[in-house]
Amino acid sequence: MKTVETEVGAILAGTISAITQRSIFNRLGGLAARPIQQLTPQDRLAIMTELESSVRLFARRNSTELIASCAQALSGGPAPSAGGTGAGSASSAGPSGDGIGATKRLAIDQEKDIATARLEAWSEAVRIGLSKFTSVKVATAVSELARNIVFYGGKGYVELKSTRDDRGPTLQIVASDKGPGIEPRKLEEIWAGTYKSQRGMGKGLVAVKKLVDDFHLDTGPGGRGTTVTCLFRGER
Amino acid sequence: MEWPERGAVPQGPGFAFVAERTAVKDESLPIIQIRNCLLVSIQTELHDRLALGLQESLMERVRSADAKGVILDVSAVEVIDSYITRILNDIGKSVRFMGAECYIVGIRPAVAMTLIEMGVELDSVHTALNLDLALEKLELLQS
Repeated sequence: MKTVETEVGAILAGTISAITQRSIFNRLGGLAARPIQQLTPQDRLAIMTELESSVRLFARRNSTELIASCAQALSGGPAPSAGGTGAGSASSAGPSGDGIGATKRLAIDQEKDIATARLEAWSEAVRIGLSKFTSVKVATAVSELARNIVFYGGKGYVELKSTRDDRGPTLQIVASDKGPGIEPRKLEEIWAGTYKSQRGMGKGLVAVKKLVDDFHLDTGPGGRGTTVTCLFRGER
Repeated sequence: MEWPERGAVPQGPGFAFVAERTAVKDESLPIIQIRNCLLVSIQTELHDRLALGLQESLMERVRSADAKGVILDVSAVEVIDSYITRILNDIGKSVRFMGAECYIVGIRPAVAMTLIEMGVELDSVHTALNLDLALEKLELLQS
């Protein structure tokens, strides 16, 4: 049976010693022995949060790839570059077989949610097969958008929607809040690059626009709030 | 006795050590001194409070240790957005005001490329590939 411990252990073998692995799994508690198929999204998040810091701490190199592989293994997908072509039979999740087409919504409410959203976006990008570089861009964009929600919108959500177009996998990000919205005059300053905010550089939105392949902003007062919709395409 | 919400500092006599640990964990990053250079390895999420605390304690330490340089190791940081960039620039500026130099080391290739694409500048700090090279640039490795 594929459990968290066997799958993650196989990925970490050779990079992280057995003793250290033991202590990592101990910190996961009961989750380590859980079969992959029975993991809930919360479980996965808890495991990845724990694994990420441990792997970064103990792996001398390749920590990014290791974490990505772990995320992929936990999502029930095929373990990448494992060599074996063991047919996954009926075990693959999602209607399309590769898990593309899923929508994930993350509530953004306080500062710690920014890190969570970033991690989720990053592992989602890796999972659907975006390149390593694009995945970092995805995580950075989500970080900016989630930060804007916490700083200016108060409460909101980030939604990750994976689809596929003729060129490959795409990831759509929707960041929405019901905050005060952005005034037209302020918006002009933002796009002109002359706006300076109290807490940030006033460059978050401009930065996101430059990072993504497609960008749409809807903002206004009176309960309309701010919604940013953007899209990342895989490079094929 | 109820365990408080995550992030809240528990109260009561039995929780003194927890409160202390939480305060340390939440409010400061360890600053290591090598000769007359200060080193901080950033391994956690840099939020407002932590960044301000770091800036303050770094400036104090620069003064008390007659530091010539401050090195911030960001090799464990996967994602640097415009907000983190602003924090790093601010720390760089304040350290420079004190007469020392600030080096950022270990920026990952994907992070560097993302920063370029975003059009964000890291112009108030120096950068070096790794700790060794930063120390060399600060002329701490020769003597």
